[in-house]
Amino acid sequence: MSRYRIGIDVGGTFTDLVAVDDDGRITATKALSTPADQSIGVLDGLDRLSESLGLDRAALLAATDRIVHGTTVATNALLEGKGARVGLLTTEGHRDIIEMREGLKDDRYALRQPAPEPLVPRRLRLPVRERVRADGSEGVALGRRSLQTALATLREAGVEAVAVCYLHSYRAPSHERATGAAIARALPDAYVSLSCDVFPQIKEYERVCTTVVNAYVGPALDRYLNRLVSRLAEAGYVGPLLIMQSHGGLAPVADAVRLAAGAVLSGPAGGVAAMRHAARLLHHGDLIGFDMGGTSTDMSLVVDGEASVSTDRRVAGQRVALHSLDIASIGAGGGSIAHVDAGGVLHVGPRSAGAEPGPACYGRGGEEATVTDANLVLGFLDAEGFLGGRHRLDVAAATRAVDAIAGRLRIDRMAAAEGIHRIVNTRMAEGIRLVSVRRGVDPRRFALLSFGGAAGAHVTDVARQLDLTRVIVPTLAPMFSAWGMLASNLRYELTRTHIGDASRIDGAGLDAVFREMEAQGRARLAEAAFDGPVRCRRSADMRYGEQIFEVEVPLDGVDWSGADPMRAVADAFHERHEALYTYSLRDQEAVLVNARLAVVGVLPDPPAEPPRPARPDAPHRALRPIYLGRWIDVPVHDLDALAPGQRVEGPAIVESQTTTVVLRTGDRAHTTALGWLDIEVGAR
Amino acid sequence: MVDPITVSVVQHRLGAIVEEMGEAMLRTSYSQILNSSRDFSTGICYPDGRLVAQAEHVPIHVGALPWAAKAVHDYFGATIRPGDVYLLNDPYRGGNHIPDLTAFVPVFDGDRLAFWSINRSHQSDIGGATHGAYNPMATEIWQEGIRIPPLKLHDQGRLREDVYDTIVLNVRHPRDFRGDLAAMIGSARVGERRLRALLAELGSERAEAAIAAVLDGAERQARAVIAEWPDGEYVGVAHLDDDGHGYHDIPIHARVTKRGSDLTVDLSESHPQVIGFVNSSYPNMRSAVAMALAYLIDPDTPKNDGTFRPLQVIAKEGTVVWAREGAPVTLATNHCAQEILEAIMRALEPACPERVMAGWGRRFRIAIQGKDPRTGRAFIWHMFHARPGGGASSAGDGWPSAGEWQAAGGIKFGSVEVAEVRFPLHFRRHELRPGSGGDGRHRGGPGCELELVLETAEPAVANTAGDGVKYPSCGMHGGLDGKPHTYTLRSRGRRPRKLLTKEAGIELRPGDVLHVLSAGGGGWGDPAERDPAARERDRADGFVLDDAEGGR
Repeated sequence: MSRYRIGIDVGGTFTDLVAVDDDGRITATKALSTPADQSIGVLDGLDRLSESLGLDRAALLAATDRIVHGTTVATNALLEGKGARVGLLTTEGHRDIIEMREGLKDDRYALRQPAPEPLVPRRLRLPVRERVRADGSEGVALGRRSLQTALATLREAGVEAVAVCYLHSYRAPSHERATGAAIARALPDAYVSLSCDVFPQIKEYERVCTTVVNAYVGPALDRYLNRLVSRLAEAGYVGPLLIMQSHGGLAPVADAVRLAAGAVLSGPAGGVAAMRHAARLLHHGDLIGFDMGGTSTDMSLVVDGEASVSTDRRVAGQRVALHSLDIASIGAGGGSIAHVDAGGVLHVGPRSAGAEPGPACYGRGGEEATVTDANLVLGFLDAEGFLGGRHRLDVAAATRAVDAIAGRLRIDRMAAAEGIHRIVNTRMAEGIRLVSVRRGVDPRRFALLSFGGAAGAHVTDVARQLDLTRVIVPTLAPMFSAWGMLASNLRYELTRTHIGDASRIDGAGLDAVFREMEAQGRARLAEAAFDGPVRCRRSADMRYGEQIFEVEVPLDGVDWSGADPMRAVADAFHERHEALYTYSLRDQEAVLVNARLAVVGVLPDPPAEPPRPARPDAPHRALRPIYLGRWIDVPVHDLDALAPGQRVEGPAIVESQTTTVVLRTGDRAHTTALGWLDIEVGAR
Repeated sequence: MVDPITVSVVQHRLGAIVEEMGEAMLRTSYSQILNSSRDFSTGICYPDGRLVAQAEHVPIHVGALPWAAKAVHDYFGATIRPGDVYLLNDPYRGGNHIPDLTAFVPVFDGDRLAFWSINRSHQSDIGGATHGAYNPMATEIWQEGIRIPPLKLHDQGRLREDVYDTIVLNVRHPRDFRGDLAAMIGSARVGERRLRALLAELGSERAEAAIAAVLDGAERQARAVIAEWPDGEYVGVAHLDDDGHGYHDIPIHARVTKRGSDLTVDLSESHPQVIGFVNSSYPNMRSAVAMALAYLIDPDTPKNDGTFRPLQVIAKEGTVVWAREGAPVTLATNHCAQEILEAIMRALEPACPERVMAGWGRRFRIAIQGKDPRTGRAFIWHMFHARPGGGASSAGDGWPSAGEWQAAGGIKFGSVEVAEVRFPLHFRRHELRPGSGGDGRHRGGPGCELELVLETAEPAVANTAGDGVKYPSCGMHGGLDGKPHTYTLRSRGRRPRKLLTKEAGIELRPGDVLHVLSAGGGGWGDPAERDPAARERDRADGFVLDDAEGGR
């Protein structure tokens, strides 16, 4: 009997499951998500998956080597403000770091705006008498009495989690460790989050915020994952359960719970992991992911096969400084509402009709025109066959909504529908342009990878606006994330702050720091019962003397046993700086701030999917009028019915169960051996 | 006539272009004040200076660019060619204050000058008597830095090296200056490239018509807001503490007349110009008035020429808001810009109480120069920590430590840990200052308390620049004022001394403690109307002092 590995991606509405067998055959299914306890939806999904495979659930689980899971539990706790009641212990005199927010506020001209509530209110941020100095020496000893007083207050307040962040603990963690031990004694049930474990790096704002987020989402993630582990155990699964991390790697449950803040982008990370895998399969290393959903659109970059990573994420307004895949989100999607402002200018979003009432055409009471309504009026969507016919769309309601916009603009209905469509495409294109400018790349050499239910109707026009010539729509698009997780590796990231001028740091000393981190990382892989190949990647955060932002410099090419490894480190930094910022300053001191190590336990890639058998081209299913400046009858194809290599020329519609791809005049598409749609975009 | 959809697309596109110019600047600039504190603006103007679009970086830069673009255009007129780059900083020739240098790249449509693509950036140094241009002792502009009138730096793609060298020679950190200037020009060229693409895509006529319609749309939005307020004449007065040279309680007087959807702001009854650097240049004054309108209308309304069309400004040369050529003006982007803003807000309080916000803190900066005993090297530290609180508004309490009114949360203070590693300074305390936010239905945001210990081996020297130890952040609509700044120097064997806001050459000895209490924001609305639950929260959180009952 075949062995399986299963990817499970729990989203807001659906839980997607993908199983890959020894021959690379892919079976996908979905179940409704169960937000109150996501593990119920997961088990339902496993039932369906086993049905699709003609097995019973116990048999499937017995034949499963690995389950990889992306969860939104941590994300939702943040987004919905339903995380744990957290107490924070800080160095005396520095209790307000999270509320001072480095003096920053967004939205420069919005002065009538209430300040955000910090995750921990001031009354639960308690000072402890202690101080470590900048050089790591003890300025003030840990005051046991002030610690006991603080813990008594937190016990009385009934906190579920305690975060601890003292100044300079990245350098000398002993006060935090002693505090952790005291918490374990005084509040044995509390989830403990020490900044020296969560984020042992200089810069207290980043460190305290990340440590607090960890404490805030930790208890919920802990409860959920333990429930899931026991449900799976009851169902007969004894293999490993690996959790998708924001940085794109996997962690076993125990580690995922310890570093809960590392899971706040667990869901979207699967999509980027899938892009990385897709880049390998397509032999096209430069991809822009375009994941357009109902209320927002996620955009991410894969450059030369590697996903770009960022350390300046905010999730639900909260700073999480851990490495995470760089996913930019703009607040516009299929449900975004069109409106005309007092100046007579049309806008789309940021308000969204959400799932309830949804776009006017859902017929659930929505009256305002959304992007989906415009697409329906333009004929891009099939009123009868939307989402595989599960949901009929109300054309009359969509038309009424679009007419209201047309009336305000004094233009005709079709111009208004086309306008809504164009404005949202402009926002997407500008969003992608900004993401690529920020990464210092020219988007034109990239292919746009389209996934997410709403993407297909927009992707070819967005590509045109950016002068991109290639768009790819994978067949698995809706279950892309679950699939991508199966191509991810175990990964631990370790950091040591090690400040010094590169010319004065001893290369052997730095090498020793890296070796110690490697030993630590390997030990954790061993704890997770991993015995496969291990890859270690060293890097350093560096800056020039007077700068305050560091640049992460990969140190793969450095010969540590060579004559002058620090010279090589400095050179690597100058080159990286030049690549990113167009210049370097070789006569300036290069300061090394953090030594970083990624320890990767390499899991075998899923077996390659067998190519689809050749067969004659499929005829189009129907003709449908769509509006592209004028009404044109265009052929409608089913993506799944197209033969490998079959060509489709625009204008045309290619429909799958979950998305509708609009090919415009001049677009030429063909299907790949795996059945993906590969579109050559026509000129503007 | 252009269709409304094209207008919407063009409006989004213009916003994205100035934003992309800003991203390019952030990525390539060298100085901390630019890449971290983001003290720069990017914008697009018509040849005659009218503002087409501006990125949302520094509010006090809004509405200032037109004067600069106009000055360059007036000076060079028909000689402007593709490939040229122009510079300017002189406050008496289109600039607002000396450290803000502006670079202009002309955007041609065929052989017609269609736009200016502009980058304005605050330089970390611009020459003059003190490092960084803030010179409280200055009594004339020549003591503040090098004055650059409209000047051609690149002639049809060729750098004029003699001109370039003249400027570079006059600043203290030539390498940083060169790097930042290259970044500014690069950023303006990004705008040029994208504007030309827009013109090519739509054709000149349609692009121009669409842009004109975008400006008209912004005008309609601004007018729709103003029209809601009752007609009438409104008067507001705000005060500067002093100018550091003998003038005290300097009034800024705003008489605001509102008719229909038009506003006239008359500042001509303001105090005559003074000796110190709180005087404003004309463009900076116009910018401050524009900033007031930008804060009052809806925040998403684009800021362009149309937005400010409802506004007429009357002022008198020789007053503190419009100094005669030669007076020092460097502090004016903070003070008196904030007092111009405050006077207008105070005036319009009865007209639109839901829109005016209470006062945000004033700036009070310190720079310390000394030697780091750990490295033996000289250092200069500029205090961005201990920011004052934001003002409350109809929407809620003020933002804690969000800084000054003219930057509104746009300036970041760095990490305490990093500062301690890099400078011989020890931050014994750096947290919010209880009781500093003005009471009200919505409470002002608290300022900060900083206890900073100087850990040098030898004496160091400090300069201050700012205002607001006497005049606090004003309350609005019945809300109370916040607490003003109090900065105290504690030195062993000496009596504690309150620092003045405009002092140079303060001697600091090893072990001295600077005790900074920065201003809280003003409160909004009657304190009696404050939600008891909010009051209870304030007490539990220690944001009010024990004797603060009853709104004191």
